[in-house]
Amino acid sequence: MIEVMLILFAPLIGGLMYGFERVLRARMQNRKGPPLLQPFYDMYKLLDKQAFIINPYHTVLGIMHFLTLWTVVAFMIFGQNLLYIIFLHLLSVIFIILAGFSVNSVYSHVGANRELLSALAYEPILIIVAVGFFMMHGSFDISVIRQNSASIVPLFLLFLAFLLLIPLKLKKSPFDAAEAHQEIVGGVEIEFSGVYFEFIYIAKWLEYVFVYLLLVLFAGNNAVLGTVLFLGVFLLVNLVDNATARIKMKHVIQIVLGIALTLGLLNLAGLSYV
Amino acid sequence: MYATLILAPLLFALTVLISPLRLRNILSIVFVLFLSAVSIGMNLTLHTPVEASLHQLFHPLFILLDTLVLLYFLWQGVVKNSSLVMLLALLQIVLFGIVLSLSAALDSNDILIESTSTVMYLLINIVGGSIIVFALHYIESEAFGRFKKNAFIAILFFFLSVMNFIVSTNNIEIFFLLFELTTLCSYLLIAYRGEGVSVENSLRALWMNQLGGVAILAALIFSILHYDTVHFDILIANIEEVYLLPIVLLAIAAFVKGASIPFDKWLLGAMVAPTPVSAILHSATMVKIAPYLMLKLAPAMNGFVSLSITLLGTFVFFSAALLALGKDYFKEILGYSTIALLGLMMALAALGTPEAIRACLVLLIFHAISKGLLFLQAGILEKNFHLKYVNDINGLINHSPLVVFFITVGFASLTLPPFGAFIGKFMAIESIAAEIAGSPLYLFALIFLALGSVFLTLLYFKVLTKLFAKDMDAEAGNASPHSPTAYAEISKYYTFPSFLLLFLLVAGIYISFEKELLDSMEIIVPLLLIGLVPLLFATLLFKKAHRVKEYNCGEKEQIKLNMYYFHMPRRIKTYIALTATAALVILMAGVVL
Repeated sequence: MIEVMLILFAPLIGGLMYGFERVLRARMQNRKGPPLLQPFYDMYKLLDKQAFIINPYHTVLGIMHFLTLWTVVAFMIFGQNLLYIIFLHLLSVIFIILAGFSVNSVYSHVGANRELLSALAYEPILIIVAVGFFMMHGSFDISVIRQNSASIVPLFLLFLAFLLLIPLKLKKSPFDAAEAHQEIVGGVEIEFSGVYFEFIYIAKWLEYVFVYLLLVLFAGNNAVLGTVLFLGVFLLVNLVDNATARIKMKHVIQIVLGIALTLGLLNLAGLSYV
Repeated sequence: MYATLILAPLLFALTVLISPLRLRNILSIVFVLFLSAVSIGMNLTLHTPVEASLHQLFHPLFILLDTLVLLYFLWQGVVKNSSLVMLLALLQIVLFGIVLSLSAALDSNDILIESTSTVMYLLINIVGGSIIVFALHYIESEAFGRFKKNAFIAILFFFLSVMNFIVSTNNIEIFFLLFELTTLCSYLLIAYRGEGVSVENSLRALWMNQLGGVAILAALIFSILHYDTVHFDILIANIEEVYLLPIVLLAIAAFVKGASIPFDKWLLGAMVAPTPVSAILHSATMVKIAPYLMLKLAPAMNGFVSLSITLLGTFVFFSAALLALGKDYFKEILGYSTIALLGLMMALAALGTPEAIRACLVLLIFHAISKGLLFLQAGILEKNFHLKYVNDINGLINHSPLVVFFITVGFASLTLPPFGAFIGKFMAIESIAAEIAGSPLYLFALIFLALGSVFLTLLYFKVLTKLFAKDMDAEAGNASPHSPTAYAEISKYYTFPSFLLLFLLVAGIYISFEKELLDSMEIIVPLLLIGLVPLLFATLLFKKAHRVKEYNCGEKEQIKLNMYYFHMPRRIKTYIALTATAALVILMAGVVL
């Protein structure tokens, strides 16, 4: 029952995380920042806007992106197979990419292209992280991983590799070229508006839930460690976001694939020798 | 029953050769239905392996056929002025002579039908049959004489017969004959159009496949000399760890047939033939011999051989996917993805754990169905819309939603849950992950697999984005003469086989549900999600929403956006081919030493 509630409230939790992040970032920059509930006020305001659509394919694919991502989060909360979840997540990414390409807008195309390229960078790493968990726990099932004790020490290098993915997945500096408001005005988001943009907006929150649910897997059944990890990484990611500048997509792929893949490989090779 | 599957298509081939058009079409459909029914019957009734011996009189007949085929190759080498074909044919004749001069004492049955064979029957007859139905109409739109058109269909039926036989035989000598016969079929089909490029590519396909023939003959000689047998089952049962040469040579023959890098050129060259040829080569016949043979050999492999083949297979998977990213020709993209997936299937077969073998079979079946479906669409694009290049498919959804639907399902079924090929890849990752604890070298296999599958997904969806993109030309009213016209009529001969393959895909989902390859939730949920897309298209009319042009930051200029490519320098291709060749050399050297 608690799981169903969690799934239903997952977008709200994601929204709160997003709101908290904005407050935190403002404090880091010595500003007051928006209230915690600002994302929800934004949502409410969007409801009032006139609805514009470019073409039905674009809008439907955007809605599907949101629905699939919610399903992914639901599967995670239910403790399903991690590898399967990674592929289902890929499906949600594919929907948004197809949406980006279905309109004749340069920014949308560039954004969708970059989205594809970042999927190219993080998918293999996610698969390797899943294999790392499999080697530790003998199963891909999240429910098993959650029951066993924390695996962050033996999987430390994989954990570092995963840290590199978080800014990429959440589109934070220095890996935020896929969204890059100053140059491509949000990429795939640009052509969504009004009530249909809400789906994309909530999907962004769900992305937070997805990433941090993956993160706490490293803590296993240790709730305290899980909380510490979550808060620590949340702080770190925002600190890095504030302190760094955006880099080119080409370099994002080189850095993420180069470093994270090496770290992951070393970790798995080490595990197989133990 | 197996005799029906082998002999009936031969008879059918003769019948269609001399029938007039209408009769030929009706008969072919009946024949295909008959073969499908028999193969389903075989699959349902076979519980224990069937063994049988062929009559003594057959052996001289097979030897005669062998000699004729080899002499034909030699003659083609002379006529077409290809010294390579000539030399290889001569080499094969000499080796074949040596094989005939030796005699093996340990005897076994010529026919051995296991569950793998019956799965192959299903593939060959149902998927291959659908492609024949497709070919009936396709070939009519080509400018050839009546006899040549009928011969095309006849060769396809003959191909089915050979394939049905090759998966039933236990005798390596007969296997060699059938291997050469498939080479012959593909040679004739690729050269079918008879122009310069076709002849050139068919000769390349011929000599590359002859290499496979040479490898089988060498394997036969070593097998007779050392193990005193020409039968697969005895060879595999008596295998000694220190003498795996025959097994490795047969595996190399499989690599050749499976168009694995560095032997990939022949399959890509086969694109010049009429599209049903590509469809049948890629999905139901020819290349599928490779994983089948590898599955047969898997129990005899030791750690070194199995590891090397797994690494090489996954490397091929990765590199073929990488190379495909720089391509624009629709059939070439499909071709590279076939090479990639075959590499993966062979890797899994060589891995040999029960789960890996299951994954291999799942991939084998679903790859055949999906690739068949996609190649049929390639044929429709070519015939109805005169489209060959992906970049020109702009906005096909406005002209033929049906073809877009088939292409989308075809690509989706190769990558996404809950389709079979996805399940195969998923199980592949699981089974390789399970091996890493034993040997860290499998890590490389895992990396290749992870990167390769992401590349393939990228590739497929790169193509798909083009289908949904807006059709700028049509909107501006300056459609070129080759642009598709609105809602083109597509012949029933084209759509019927496509629907049949689609039905097989759906049936496959049901079977994976029954066999519990995935959790029921894991199958139903994505099915609902994917089903929701057309439903939303149909129901959400967005009546209240205002239709607007793209915001595009207020830019008014009309733009035409083309597809993006990944630049693949030539040297990358060379490096990949060199690496694969080096791997084969290391494999051979390791076994000989």
